[in-house]
Amino acid sequence: MKKSLRIQFAGLCLVLLAVVSCEHDLPRYAAFSDYDFSGLDENAGSWEPILLSTTDHIEIGAPDDAESDAYQEELDELKSEIENLSSGQRKAAEYWTNNPILRWNEIALELAAKYNLIPGPNPDGTYTLPNPATPDGPPAFPFAHPAYTSRALAYLSVAQYDGLLTAWNYKYSYNRLAPYHYDNTIPSLYAQTSLPAYPSDGAVIAVVSRDILTAMFPLEKDYLAARAEEHLNSLRWSGANVQSDIVAGSYIGTEVTKVTMARAANDGMKKAQCPKPVSDSIKASAFARLGWQWENLEVPVRPVGLAPLFCRVQMWNVPNVEDVRPGPPPAPGSAEFQVAAKELQDIQNNMTEGRRKIANWWQDGLGTYTPPGHWNRFAKEFMIKYRQNPVRSARTFAYMNMAIMDAGIACWDAKYFYHYPRPIQAIPGFKTILGTPNFPSYTSGHSTFSAAASEVLGYVFPAEAEQCEAWALEAAESRIYGGIHWRFDSEVGIQQGKDVASYTLERMQSDGADND
Amino acid sequence: MNSPVQIRLVHQCDILKTLINTYMKSSTKSIFFTLALLCGAYIAQAQTPSDAMMMRQRESCFALTYERGSFDEYWEGKLLRTNETIADVSRTVVMPMVAIGILDKLNFYIAVPYVKTESTEPNGGKLRGAKGFQDLNLALKYEIMNKELGKGKLAVLAAGGFATPITNYLSDYRPYSIGNGTNEWSLRGIVQYKLDMGLYARIAGAHLFRGQTKAERDYYYNNGSYYTPWMDVPSAWEYNGVIGMWFLDNTLKLEASYYSLKSTSGDDIRFYNAAQPTNKVNFDQVGVSVQYYIKPVKGLGVLAYYNQVIEGRNMPKLAAFGFGGTYQFKI
Repeated sequence: MKKSLRIQFAGLCLVLLAVVSCEHDLPRYAAFSDYDFSGLDENAGSWEPILLSTTDHIEIGAPDDAESDAYQEELDELKSEIENLSSGQRKAAEYWTNNPILRWNEIALELAAKYNLIPGPNPDGTYTLPNPATPDGPPAFPFAHPAYTSRALAYLSVAQYDGLLTAWNYKYSYNRLAPYHYDNTIPSLYAQTSLPAYPSDGAVIAVVSRDILTAMFPLEKDYLAARAEEHLNSLRWSGANVQSDIVAGSYIGTEVTKVTMARAANDGMKKAQCPKPVSDSIKASAFARLGWQWENLEVPVRPVGLAPLFCRVQMWNVPNVEDVRPGPPPAPGSAEFQVAAKELQDIQNNMTEGRRKIANWWQDGLGTYTPPGHWNRFAKEFMIKYRQNPVRSARTFAYMNMAIMDAGIACWDAKYFYHYPRPIQAIPGFKTILGTPNFPSYTSGHSTFSAAASEVLGYVFPAEAEQCEAWALEAAESRIYGGIHWRFDSEVGIQQGKDVASYTLERMQSDGADND
Repeated sequence: MNSPVQIRLVHQCDILKTLINTYMKSSTKSIFFTLALLCGAYIAQAQTPSDAMMMRQRESCFALTYERGSFDEYWEGKLLRTNETIADVSRTVVMPMVAIGILDKLNFYIAVPYVKTESTEPNGGKLRGAKGFQDLNLALKYEIMNKELGKGKLAVLAAGGFATPITNYLSDYRPYSIGNGTNEWSLRGIVQYKLDMGLYARIAGAHLFRGQTKAERDYYYNNGSYYTPWMDVPSAWEYNGVIGMWFLDNTLKLEASYYSLKSTSGDDIRFYNAAQPTNKVNFDQVGVSVQYYIKPVKGLGVLAYYNQVIEGRNMPKLAAFGFGGTYQFKI
């Protein structure tokens, strides 16, 4: 008996080992390595920048000639550094790849998820708002809600893009190639390229990303500095650049950040989270005009909804937010409203696993990278699939994130202009499977963000347009399944997102990039 | 002296009670009661008879218990707090269990809890609760030793358990999720010393090997980004100490227990944010229980218990009351 027991226990241990070894990988970032770019976009220096007046607005002098002693000395230093690489340094260079804009986008999404925490109530029932003047808090600054995150991503992407357009302009003006073209004993960790190396596009990305993200997430200054330092070093460790390439690229990064942050400092975001008297007057105005108003139902009640004046933040490509404001939603109690209310009750009372999954798949709520982050992730995956080079990737991110931020501004305008109640407010006893956000219902943020992003991605990746549209519609539907939006919030939100994107695409189609 | 029948009966009921206790503990282990994963382990633990006897071959016991727990405070990391979004959360567990004596020294257990969770009104979140059958819990327990020592008996036992979800409940829906949504293997050692006069003490230790659970989203934050629906549910060490006493000719048993669970990894619940299955859940709990075997009705017993979590991390401060019945029969 004792023997058989031992056998049983041994068997159990074996099964345990099998179970442990069968566990799924838990990836922390996209699994891709360097890749051959689908094209080099030699003419990108002639494309129209977003904020810079021209791609030679930031001046970069000519580099030392490849034959010069100074450059030869740089090559020698590089060779010796690469010969002594540690395995950790090699791994770092492999991680950053030859399209590091994707890594910085991942870092941005991670910070969004880290800071997407809503302030909780104080013991006396009041709420304290995050304050950029005292970012340590509590609560820590920022609260990276979807509107905040859309803006952070837009400025990051626009600055990266303008910086890379500038870099491309000088790359093909000066035509100094990568080190391994001049010394074939220098190894290249990445796919070899004829893209000129001076100024370093990687350095532009590292410096811009570090500095924009530090402005958006000030408590991450040291973390971002460390990531950027590793990235800048990786540019040499990979054999892609000598130090003078990096210095020139870093200068572009610093300068383009100044231009970008000058816009950000005065775009109206500081006033988006308005004080209670302003919020109350917005609500009273809606009630006087419409006869209804949204109420926060949390305990204790939040005195002000999320970012009532985000609607006044400067848009990128839509002249006036009223240009994309939809008509009013059905009045509560109306026949159309009753249909929408009954649908929500039916869905919650007969929740299916399929609907639950869709609601959760798109939830992108507190503690996550938000819907703008979700679409950035899709964009990143397409860039890898279609092997976009850094400047193409930057363009995709820049236009998509401008569209997403504009969609957010437009959506928030509708939300506070129409001040429409959420289902839990308008349907007595209604319960949901998703948490109801702290802002009015009409239109749905998920829907406007997603439709706008989908339109831009569909334009850049036509073969994916159908998939993107299906995703956007599913994202819109997910909010109905979650019990936190009316069907008309989602349907009108989708249309609003498309309307916003039409302005983005109009600019995108005439920036010169698609004439090549 | 106890008659063998009485002893067996007592012992089975004890098993049941312990099982229930363990259930409750397990339920409390995650911020909102992810109880039953541990069930297998608990069953094993629960079997430990007060006198360290096993159910004999071809004997069986059916048990049905009802438990109601609730909390209005929880530890966010190490900070004990309230949260009006969820207000007072209740958890009801109905659990049928069958125990079978395969051999005199080898017993088998199977249990399937039904769990229901919800917030009381009013609450600020207006979120739906959850309900459903949770995990299938299986366990084997083996009596390694049981011999006279001084004025009592020393028993040593070992048990292995396995639990696996039997419905597609969502583990990533705290505080309402009804379980951890992952497989769990457990290995447990039990030592008990019982004086002939009825007083006994028992200690047990176990390791709970937990796998991964699948969320319905493919991105989450756990001190950094994770691009996958799979979440690691932390494994844990579990410790249990019991002191009990038999009265009324071995028909009434009173017991006081201490239970502790320590996760070996995991992250903390973030500020004012929902818990998730990756959290490092620790807690200490004390409890009391009473069992009574109804002499006139052969094979029937009743039990009741109360447990209170007294210290924790990423864990509700749960208090739970349970009661149930057991019926023993030959197969």
